Amino acid sequence: MIYLDAGTTYSKIITTRNDSFDKKYFIKEFEDKKYYIIPSSIIKTSNICPSRSCGHMSNATENEIIALAKGCKGTIDTNATILDLGSRDAKWIRFKDSKFHDMDWNTSCASSTGATVEMLLKFYNLKRDDLEFNPEKFTITCGIFGLEKIMDDISKGEEAKTSIAKFIHGIAYNAWVFAKKPLKIYLSGGFCDNKCFVHSLEEYCSVVPLGRFVLCEGLIDE
Amino acid sequence: MNEQLIGFWGYPDPSLINKIKNQYPNCRWVDLDVDLGAPDKEILPKAYCKIIKNIINNAFALSPVKIAAPIGKDKCDSGWFAARLLSEFGFDCETSIYEQTLPKRPIKICTSNLPLIDKFNTIMNNIIDGIPDINYPQIKPQFGFWGVPPNDYEILKLFPAATHIYGWTRCVEAGTPADLELEMYVDASIPTVFYAQAFCSKTQLAKYLADKYNGLYIDVDDYINNSIKAKIEAFLRLR
Repeated sequence: MIYLDAGTTYSKIITTRNDSFDKKYFIKEFEDKKYYIIPSSIIKTSNICPSRSCGHMSNATENEIIALAKGCKGTIDTNATILDLGSRDAKWIRFKDSKFHDMDWNTSCASSTGATVEMLLKFYNLKRDDLEFNPEKFTITCGIFGLEKIMDDISKGEEAKTSIAKFIHGIAYNAWVFAKKPLKIYLSGGFCDNKCFVHSLEEYCSVVPLGRFVLCEGLIDE
Repeated sequence: MNEQLIGFWGYPDPSLINKIKNQYPNCRWVDLDVDLGAPDKEILPKAYCKIIKNIINNAFALSPVKIAAPIGKDKCDSGWFAARLLSEFGFDCETSIYEQTLPKRPIKICTSNLPLIDKFNTIMNNIIDGIPDINYPQIKPQFGFWGVPPNDYEILKLFPAATHIYGWTRCVEAGTPADLELEMYVDASIPTVFYAQAFCSKTQLAKYLADKYNGLYIDVDDYINNSIKAKIEAFLRLR
């Protein structure tokens, strides 16, 4: 069985039974499940037939919010806010007494999410781990204005990695506000691996990273 | 000879409707609020309520001989301004303010077992000739939809028939389009989607009520996209 969360940039895959993919995409194995992260550009040109899927594909079988809600069960408190921050959108869901309580989905704004950060790192020839938390943050209502601030900052002599860290701090603040300022966030998605982002978010609330496979896990139980 | 049209928007004072019916007995009435695919005259700013844009663009596309133009609290300030603009462009606008809250007609359609889209059509397509006095079978609500008739009726297809209508559309069925108390009424026990057109002042009410009743606030500019559909679908499935 193949379960696919097709992201804009990367696709997360969990396989069970004898299904498997190229070892270079292998992340981990747990119980009878194997976990892979594969560039979505490869997925699009392959003949993968997932049993269930969600994300940015025309024939996805499951709604991403539903997958998020199902995928985090068992790993969160009875009262919890789970934020999934992806390449081009952000979504959160809140449980109260283990029941769905509230949600929102910033459905299509790519300006201030993972794809923008990836582009910045490539543009300035930096690696994610080069970024360190910076207490200063750019106020970014829009990624385009955020990019402008980075460029202004660098032109004034600031190092690119420091400016991008301020930008990421701004994203973290916006994400916290978007999720209605909870005391604690369970974080899902690629930003779990971004220490600069997690540290920035921790300025506002406690953070529990759940990793990149939450939505994919949410596809399995049906 | 081309068919002559009477344009209207919102819920004109019934006395004005009757007066114009007597003046133009053979004219067909057309609701200018509705998205009829008229070309954009670019008179209004790009970022503006799509319903008001429809009014302006439909007027130019259809050239009604007369327009019944609500401008009071039963519509909105934008209706007031639109009436003025259309008058400046030479349209024969007759304004109305219909703000009474009594008498109220009983609510039968908003709470009926009709599909949600049919509920809207039944209410909105009978403003001029009166809502038929039929005892529609009632249904216990599973969900609520609060708001004005959306520009894009596709959104209504996402809801089951067991969805009750609240907000301004319910006020229209009651015959009291400016009844703020009724407009703000919802069943607190029912998961409700609070819908408003983007750039409409009713977004203020929709957001407030969604927060108050733990509903889902949605504003849409013109047409719904897959993401909005997915968000509503998630809300309906998880609640």
